[in-house]
Amino acid sequence: MFRKVINPSNPWAPAGWAATVLYLVFIGLPVLAMLVRAGQQSDFAASLTSSLTVQALQLSLITSAVSMAVVVVFGTPLAYLLARGDSVALKAVDAVVELPIVLPPVVAGVAMLMAFGRQGIVGPALTGMGIHLPFTAIAVIFAQVFVAAPFYIRAAKLGFQSIGKEFEDVSQTLGVSPWSTFWRLTLPLAAPSILGGLALAWARAISEFGATIMFAGNLTGRTQTMPLAILTAMETDIGSALAMSALLLAGSLAVLAILGVLARRRWEGRL
Amino acid sequence: MTRGWVRCSLADFVLETEWEASPGQVLVLYGPSGAGKTTALRAIAGLLRPDQGRIEVGERVVYDGARRVWTPPHKRNVGYLTQQYNLFPHLTVSGNIRYGMGGETRQERQTRVEELVSVFRLEGLEERRTWELSGGQQQRVALARALAVQPAALLLDEPFSSLDAELRRTLRGQIRAILEQANIPVVLVTHDREEALALGDEVQVLDRGRTLDRGEPLRMLGQPGQGRVARLVGVENVLPMRVEQRYPQDGSMVCVSADDPPPGHPALRLEVPLTDLEIGQPLLVGIRASDVILAGDRLASSSARNQLQGTVTGVELRPPGYQVALECHGVPFRCHITGRSLSEMGIRPGMNLWAVFKASSCFMVAEENTAD
Repeated sequence: MFRKVINPSNPWAPAGWAATVLYLVFIGLPVLAMLVRAGQQSDFAASLTSSLTVQALQLSLITSAVSMAVVVVFGTPLAYLLARGDSVALKAVDAVVELPIVLPPVVAGVAMLMAFGRQGIVGPALTGMGIHLPFTAIAVIFAQVFVAAPFYIRAAKLGFQSIGKEFEDVSQTLGVSPWSTFWRLTLPLAAPSILGGLALAWARAISEFGATIMFAGNLTGRTQTMPLAILTAMETDIGSALAMSALLLAGSLAVLAILGVLARRRWEGRL
Repeated sequence: MTRGWVRCSLADFVLETEWEASPGQVLVLYGPSGAGKTTALRAIAGLLRPDQGRIEVGERVVYDGARRVWTPPHKRNVGYLTQQYNLFPHLTVSGNIRYGMGGETRQERQTRVEELVSVFRLEGLEERRTWELSGGQQQRVALARALAVQPAALLLDEPFSSLDAELRRTLRGQIRAILEQANIPVVLVTHDREEALALGDEVQVLDRGRTLDRGEPLRMLGQPGQGRVARLVGVENVLPMRVEQRYPQDGSMVCVSADDPPPGHPALRLEVPLTDLEIGQPLLVGIRASDVILAGDRLASSSARNQLQGTVTGVELRPPGYQVALECHGVPFRCHITGRSLSEMGIRPGMNLWAVFKASSCFMVAEENTAD
């Protein structure tokens, strides 16, 4: 069996296999260790239903769902524009869109405080209108949208780009308006990429930590999402921390599975 | 009917052309790649906005630059078949055909789809995915989809270019029959001479964004009228000559090469059909390479009026046969022969051969009438 996988023409094969084994141990061991320790907790089930866990889980699910709705509603037209346009201005927008991917989330949190905080640039104006953003669930959503949107926009843009303009041209010559063409042709064909981007963005939003703690704080029941609750519980209630970690791990595996299924559903080579 | 004229300027290219095709007529836009053929189709379909012009489809004016008339593509009712067919991969064969249909009841649509499936001989493939189909089947689905919306005109962009040569010949006949049945004006774009001859009722030769000439397919592609058209449609030998002697009673005349022969050689002379040109006037004589016979010796007794002695300068593969390049009296001359003739005669560079052809294989090509 080993003889098959070691291709004699690949000079890197022995080193590659050694590195692969090391890497699997490196990733797998901590994950396994966490699951083992979680399983050893006598009150694992109770930890899963503790009020800290339940509140954090609820908040995470609700805020990430709202964030994803915002990302889809605003990100889809933006991604389509980027995919079909070729002006210099759009190229610049394209670069800006990806900034949050490389920006440290803590910096994003500081930046949002400087904009929307009480001392921020537009904060006082918002306060004047009775709107108070920092340390609310809205702030949690702001933080999630900020860091997660680029993952969705990038995937959706690539999905739209993979559909040749000629498909839409042909659709229009068949009497179908540009708007209907989008819903009947472009969107179904781009759907695997779009859903893949959505899964990635959701994973990023649910794991959001740095920007949230900076901009929204860590208030149980109001802004304390799962990652923040894990941090808090680590000091007092390791059982709850482990339970929530196991939940997040399950969510991550689900995202991986969805991505795997979607990858096989692409229309590549047929477009 | 569809007719009109457009001027479209793209980055480094200007298309300026006019066209006219009546119902049941196939107008072929013929020319090399980059001639502007596809641009013209896209302008008619409304996928590209010309700078100026006027486009009529059916009885409607869909574009008039001067009067600011603009109909978007989905309201033009113009069928457009792209080179790649662009079948929609998320739909089945019948889903593709049904895609643009509207208005009628579900039952009527289904009946129309079944009709088209049978006309295009797609029975049994209705629920297939489009990528499971052969190239010929894909072409038929794309054409069925375009005709399903009952367009007022049909545009075909190199409809056979993604099929192999064998399939092209078989499908051409079927497509021809279907187009006649549809009885709408068709504008077909191609750079394939055989295709233009087989499908066209009229051929319009385009080059670098300009219309060079327009007429019956055989006249355009067999004995084209202009020098550049002749070279574009692949007349291999276009020789500058002048009239030396006229024989009105025989219906022929003798022309002599306009270029001086190399020292020690007689000038190249050809016997060609009589024209109304006077002695001494220049002309371009066209001879298709496939009309020339190669012989090892001068034919002692033959009806062919032209026999030129020449030296082989090169042989190259030109499917389905070979092209032999000769130099006759200092003038390059090309002939097409089969692979068997090539090997049986043992033709190789340096060999001396005779090029033999009838006077009636020579045709007159006018000089360019536009100097640009």
